[in-house]
Amino acid sequence: MTTLTVNGIETTLDVPPRTHLADALRETLGLTGTHLGCEHGVCGACTVELDGSPARACIAFAAACAGAVVRTIEGFEYDSVMAELRAAFTAHHALQCGYCTPGMLITARDIVLRIPGADEARVRRELAGNLCRCTGYQGIVDAILAVLAARRG
Amino acid sequence: MADGGSGKGVGARLPRKEDDRFLRGKGRFVADIRIPGMREVAFLRGPIAHARIGAITVPEAHRAAVFTASDLTDVAPIRAYSGLKGFRRSDQPVLATGKVRHVGEAVAMIVAATRAEAEDIAGLIDIAWEPLPALVDMAEARATTTRVHEEWPDNIVLETFVDDDLSDIAATAPIVIRRSLRTARQCMSPIEGRGVVAEWDGRLDQLVMWSSAQMPHITRSGLSECLGLDHGQIRVISPDVGGGFGYKGILLPEEVALGWLARRIGAPVRWIEDRFEQLSANANCREHAYELTAYADGEGTLLALDCEAMVDAGAYSSYPFSACLEAAQIASILPGPYRFGRYRCRTFSVATNKPPILPYRGVARTGVCYAIETVMDAIAEATGIDIETVRQRNLVRSEEMPYTNVTNKVFDSGDYPEALRRAAAALDIPTLRAQQASETGPVRTGVGLSIFCEQGAHGTAVYHGWGIPMVPGHEQAQARLTPDGVLELRIGAHSHGQGMETSLAQVAHTILGINPAAVRLVHGDTALTPYSTGTWGSRSAVMSGGAVAAACETLAKRIAAIGAHLLQAEAGSVRVEDGSVVAPGGASVTLREVAHTWYRAPQLLPRDVDPAGLDVTAGYKPLSDGGTFSYAAHACAVTVDTETGFVTLGRYVIAEDGGVCLNPMIVDGQVLGGTAQGIGTALYEEMPYDGEAQPLAASLADYLLPGAGEIPRIAIEHMETPSPLTRFGQKGIGESGAIGPPAAIANAVNDALRPLGARVDALPITPRRILEALARAGR
Repeated sequence: MTTLTVNGIETTLDVPPRTHLADALRETLGLTGTHLGCEHGVCGACTVELDGSPARACIAFAAACAGAVVRTIEGFEYDSVMAELRAAFTAHHALQCGYCTPGMLITARDIVLRIPGADEARVRRELAGNLCRCTGYQGIVDAILAVLAARRG
Repeated sequence: MADGGSGKGVGARLPRKEDDRFLRGKGRFVADIRIPGMREVAFLRGPIAHARIGAITVPEAHRAAVFTASDLTDVAPIRAYSGLKGFRRSDQPVLATGKVRHVGEAVAMIVAATRAEAEDIAGLIDIAWEPLPALVDMAEARATTTRVHEEWPDNIVLETFVDDDLSDIAATAPIVIRRSLRTARQCMSPIEGRGVVAEWDGRLDQLVMWSSAQMPHITRSGLSECLGLDHGQIRVISPDVGGGFGYKGILLPEEVALGWLARRIGAPVRWIEDRFEQLSANANCREHAYELTAYADGEGTLLALDCEAMVDAGAYSSYPFSACLEAAQIASILPGPYRFGRYRCRTFSVATNKPPILPYRGVARTGVCYAIETVMDAIAEATGIDIETVRQRNLVRSEEMPYTNVTNKVFDSGDYPEALRRAAAALDIPTLRAQQASETGPVRTGVGLSIFCEQGAHGTAVYHGWGIPMVPGHEQAQARLTPDGVLELRIGAHSHGQGMETSLAQVAHTILGINPAAVRLVHGDTALTPYSTGTWGSRSAVMSGGAVAAACETLAKRIAAIGAHLLQAEAGSVRVEDGSVVAPGGASVTLREVAHTWYRAPQLLPRDVDPAGLDVTAGYKPLSDGGTFSYAAHACAVTVDTETGFVTLGRYVIAEDGGVCLNPMIVDGQVLGGTAQGIGTALYEEMPYDGEAQPLAASLADYLLPGAGEIPRIAIEHMETPSPLTRFGQKGIGESGAIGPPAAIANAVNDALRPLGARVDALPITPRRILEALARAGR
């Protein structure tokens, strides 16, 4: 039994030790906004916020997350920074199939809050852990730069 | 085309209707589907590329959980035959039968409560393998006595030959170019893999299958053929699809297997492909080899082209495109956008012990563009003419449109020289040449161009000629006004990122004036939509766009008739605009009022009202089956570090013409995303195999997909030449971006290496290949 906080709710998971966090979120808690792309920690589709930082839910064991605070894309429904990013992602056509999008947004939000002065080169470097096969990244980069610029005023 | 000023019709950069659900994590992909009692499936896949299957030993405790070919006695193999003369037929068993022919071929299907438990059971199954020699290289496969399919006389799936006697030109041409080029085997790598959920519905006597599929109606036809069920007994639902690019344009053995299994065990079943399966069993595209001889005059005019091409077609013929489409297309499209008159091309589709080939975004075009554009740079080098001028001398000119080329392709419209001029000008080649002239150190600048045209939305006559199981006819769409005035559109094609929920709503807005927010697109469900071959071949904007327009036009007439009656106006005098029916005097009724009258207050209508009502099915075909020809020129600068072999992309410019764009923002997105994939093809993506045909890149740490840091900012120069063949002048352009980059980048790298006497003739252009080329040149 593992107790952790998921999207603000204290949750007890009873899953086999080999279950990774993404499977526990998706299969046990029904939070299917966290997507699986590679299960090797490379593609970033499963990115969630773990204790305040982006993390790969596919290479974190659920049982190792006791006491952790986890936020999935569903947990950002009323987050103001995420609302800015959502609007910017639509305005800049930063998504096509939408599969990488939840992980991309969680990484993007971290960039916006952690590196308010990031330029394009820095944004691209920070996105290195999130693969998108549809957009060629330009719309994603532009959306993040637009939110950074708006927040700088 | 103007969008009528509303900012919402054809031609508008309307934000996408589908974005909201994806941005909130509410998209519904196949792995998100839950059915009570659902069980999980894992496949035991052959670890050897070519081996006979001896005894399969399943522990007694797990016998009921494991199914092999010997259980699937009532399932027919997958058969994708081509009618092309000389095509060799082979069957693809749903589970391997007798032997395995590539690594990752499914041998057993295991069902359990969880995927992990199913994989545990797979690990307990023992198979007595009898290894056979593995065919890993297509040239060797042509020479050996080992057979992928024993009943064949050799390993050639199909040989094609476009013949011409070039001896007169060969004897006299002042410039003769010879090149041997190779492209790597790739894995298309959508971020979401394939996946299937299947359930047998006893009440409806129907298999219901959710699958991440680009062409659900074709999947249903294939399932019908393999499972012996009639079409009415099968419903295929394709939910949100996490990228396709061709990878999901196929009938899967796994779909057939799970369809059979759901009925057999009486429980819903699910299989979700993992990345290891995707990479190890399904690196299935792009592998070409070219032997090119080109003849030119001293002015750089291409006189004739002679080519022998091979495509590694892998072990089976995939449904519905077959194992020969790629190579046969090489023969027909290698001439590119150029207007030379003499051509000879022999192609071989060669069977090997690798996964069966599928058409990947751009299909053969990416390889042939690399081939012909390599030839163009070679002519430039041999004649001393600059790289833009040599192409301008050979391109089909706008005043020659429509132009029938040497392989009888009819280019519908466009200005190819202008596209090249714009791309080259935006790159600013003179400044880059000056930079090159000053370079003496290890880092060298290179400049590259490519230009191509892309046949899209080609139809019945073209595909009838291939003789494959799928021939597109009239594309159909349904338009239905609901009682409260919402417009439901139903199409049989399916989006896997193309934004059709938005662009087709824009089409409806252009015809009916209805707000796109009041339009819902129903697609991806064979029970709810008209038959369609699906989304592939850069066809949906043309085909579904035309069909939706046709359905809306018929619906508009019926709406107008009812509206005229309500307005007490002459039937022919009213207009349908801005979501209303408007009488000459300005009086109007809304579509909602019209719909309410038809459905809820029919007593208000006269007896002679059209009884067909507000529900329309209409069909559409462009004016020619030969397809539209979008085109683009790519121009790029690179720097090559000759000490490390590392390539850095500099400025990258595309001048493209997709005709009238239904939504230019979406078209830009297609071009940018395709270009990123083309950059992957050029520099990074390769599935290497060892001598036993074992795939060597089993995770995304080994198979390199370009990230945000590898892709430069790309500038797009827009041109818009309406196609004379289509409803709005739109052209198929979804694959375009993936075609041009390998040619432009390879030319740029070789331009950088030229002063050092080195040249790379294979993709991807990895640091190792560059350093080897430099070593061969004595550097």
